[in-house]
Amino acid sequence: MKKEFRKLGGIIIIFLALYFLPFNREIVKDVFFNGLILLQNYAREHVLLCLIPAFFIAGGILVFAKKDAILKYLGANTSKWISYPIASISGGVLAVCSCTILPLFAGIWKRGAGIGPATTFLYAGPAINIAAIFLTGTVLGWELSFVRLAFSIIGAIIIGFLMDKFFREKHNEKTFIITDEKLQFSKIDIMLFFLLQLAFLVTGSLPINSILKLILMPLYIILLLILIFLKFDKNHNKLWISETWDFTKKILPLLFLGIFIAGILFQLIPQNTVQKFLGQNRLFSNFFASVFGALMYFATLTEVPIIKELMRLGMGKGPALSLFLSGYSLSLPNMIVITKLMGFKKAISYILLIVLYSTIAGFIYGNFMFQ
Amino acid sequence: MKIKILGTGCKKCNELDTNVRECVKLYNLDIAIEKINEINDILDFGVMTIPALVIDEKVVSVGKVLSSETIKTIIDTQ
Repeated sequence: MKKEFRKLGGIIIIFLALYFLPFNREIVKDVFFNGLILLQNYAREHVLLCLIPAFFIAGGILVFAKKDAILKYLGANTSKWISYPIASISGGVLAVCSCTILPLFAGIWKRGAGIGPATTFLYAGPAINIAAIFLTGTVLGWELSFVRLAFSIIGAIIIGFLMDKFFREKHNEKTFIITDEKLQFSKIDIMLFFLLQLAFLVTGSLPINSILKLILMPLYIILLLILIFLKFDKNHNKLWISETWDFTKKILPLLFLGIFIAGILFQLIPQNTVQKFLGQNRLFSNFFASVFGALMYFATLTEVPIIKELMRLGMGKGPALSLFLSGYSLSLPNMIVITKLMGFKKAISYILLIVLYSTIAGFIYGNFMFQ
Repeated sequence: MKIKILGTGCKKCNELDTNVRECVKLYNLDIAIEKINEINDILDFGVMTIPALVIDEKVVSVGKVLSSETIKTIIDTQ
């Protein structure tokens, strides 16, 4: 029933927009036209060489990567020198799908390494994501992409460590099940499988001669095809394709909508408003950006086009980083889920720590790094 | 025999749920099915990758959408 009401709500909103929007006014035409232009730009520049290969890799991770081998390092008896770093980067393999993050978080917390590494995992998980790294790199430049990645990892460890200091609990007695499931393929084949796809992604986004690209990229695909037909079986290949398709279905429509909205916002938000609240690298701009990011909901990857358009309107690079750091991990709906899971005290500390860290990180990057 | 499906309501969890019900109906099995949605209850089974399948309190599969044929084979071996 709830679903039907939501559909009805959607239809009513679209109807009202169609009914009342003055489409023949110049300004409205401009706004919509800009949304479409931006969509075309992304369709031409980023979909084929960046997003699609990234979805294939994500699908491959779900099917071929051994998750339990990593979970082993997040158990109750692991030293914190291992559990924190592993928790901060394991999101790339463990959390390719956002619906798996919360059960893993709860599991690491209550049955594994405890609240610290669990928080580290929760915060870093969505940032360590091939699609996000490459889309940020090709849209906003590699400097910001790497800075974002590095600050996410460092921040995750700091925030996790502090949460552990504030809320240390006694040692977990129960543990989680590690099913040591053997994949029947050799490690080298699986490594090659991922390396070839990664090489495709990297070559596609490098600023090199396009003839070289035209030779190299089909070569990778041919090698990959040979590999999967000779070494992997039909069932796993099929599963890989269907997982990839699942990602594409889930992410692309919302991303396209997000790009369109970013294009519209660019026309609607006055430049001096952006400069007043998000301009330069003042402490206030960084703080405003991280609070805004914490409250706003960005569907997977849509933060990238939105930040790009805000930067074109005058947002500084420090506030851009702040927005990234708080935006992908927090949103109003997400805060409610976290509060339900952690309890009010822990959740509010987690949220405040993220806002504080994002502000400071943005301030440091904006004022002292890569000048 | 009692089957529990552990999942928070994500797409894959619902698919596994559907397949289990289909399997039970198809082979006319006398099995009670229960869906566990709360993360804390799921954790009590020691499972962190969902969806998971539990037969008579024993975890038999984690993180996979099993087809109804595979589910039948698993039930038979229990």
